Amino acid sequence: MGEIESHLWKFHKELSAGIVSLVLLAVLARATSPMYGYQIAKQLDETGEGVLSGKQSALYPVLRNLEASGLLASEVEPSVAGPPRRYYRITALGRRVLDEWTYVWTATRDFVNTVMEGT
Amino acid sequence: MNPPLPRTVAEYLDQLRIALRGADPALIQDALYDAEDHVRSELAENPGKSEAEVLAKIVTSYGAPDEVAGIYVDKEHQVQQALRAPPQPEHKTLLGRFFGVGADPRAYASLFYMLLSLATGIFYFVWAVAGLSISIGTSVLIFGLAFAVLFFGTVRVLSLVEGRIIEVMLGERMPRRPVYAERGKPVMSRIKDMFVDPRTWSTLLYMLLMLPLGIIYFTIAVTGTTLSLALMVAPVALILRSLDIISGGGIYIDGEMFMPPIIALPLAFALGVFLLFAMLHLARGVGRFQAALAKNLLVKSAD
Repeated sequence: MGEIESHLWKFHKELSAGIVSLVLLAVLARATSPMYGYQIAKQLDETGEGVLSGKQSALYPVLRNLEASGLLASEVEPSVAGPPRRYYRITALGRRVLDEWTYVWTATRDFVNTVMEGT
Repeated sequence: MNPPLPRTVAEYLDQLRIALRGADPALIQDALYDAEDHVRSELAENPGKSEAEVLAKIVTSYGAPDEVAGIYVDKEHQVQQALRAPPQPEHKTLLGRFFGVGADPRAYASLFYMLLSLATGIFYFVWAVAGLSISIGTSVLIFGLAFAVLFFGTVRVLSLVEGRIIEVMLGERMPRRPVYAERGKPVMSRIKDMFVDPRTWSTLLYMLLMLPLGIIYFTIAVTGTTLSLALMVAPVALILRSLDIISGGGIYIDGEMFMPPIIALPLAFALGVFLLFAMLHLARGVGRFQAALAKNLLVKSAD
């Protein structure tokens, strides 16, 4: 039990490394208006189970890193309750990168599926 | 043994702080800010539920404190590896180590920081002294309290800004988020929080210190570089002058023009080169010292 769990945890960690960035870019590319961290976490939570469930804290550092590398831009706006919120939106560079990533993701997904079905 | 399930926001953050013990203080500040931001947003979203209920949900959605700590430490490790400049080739000889500094971008950035520190130092000093005096002077009035809150708020922002400058120029990991400030609390308790937070005072101390430090850094950087460049250019200028390509100048002692012996020319040039590289070493040292100072005075210690 413990051993299997630790393997599962390790796999989760390795899998999520790139996927979180892809998911965040995809969410913000579809969003009609800029979103803040909690809002994104909430939306992903409603979408369903996956590599991120129970680990939403992983979103926040990735958001900062994506912004630092220019794929996202952000503004801070005051909120009625709580401290000012940082609203993120995708940049033009982010959209171009997302297109490339989507291609890689689709190819990888098909490849993995094919291998696992063992055609 | 697992710690008990957190029942309040403060307990959750305490457990997170404990789980992060030993990590970089700047990372801890960032992680705590993100967690508090998320938890308080969740609380605001569910006004009907008790704090303990919301936290029970947080543990399964955002993550339990030790999980969160693990995620942040991992992420930090990845990012540091990705951002780290390729390692400098290790120079074996003394000469190689001395001149190797010329290929270190950190040394030039530190030199630039030394020049910049005069401007930021004057600004911080004036801001701290003026803000403190007005706060104390008007503290008997209600207006004085409001002003003090505003002033200490700007001190926090300036602390974050200086941290960003230090991280970019000197390469020390500094906080990327401010300290979480609660909006909901009454004014008096927020003032009290600011006054009892030792970081407020250490930040003010840093702002005051930056004036003398800035003056020293600036003076050393300017005199050091001009002196070494002048020593390097002087022999060339002297040769050009003796060939009548340029005219004027020269050092006159008692009306007699001083002509240095020929042997002094290469010596002056060598001394200039030596001084320039020594300056880069000094700048790098100043950068390390300044980064350590900022880390100690601007970032809350880990416990």
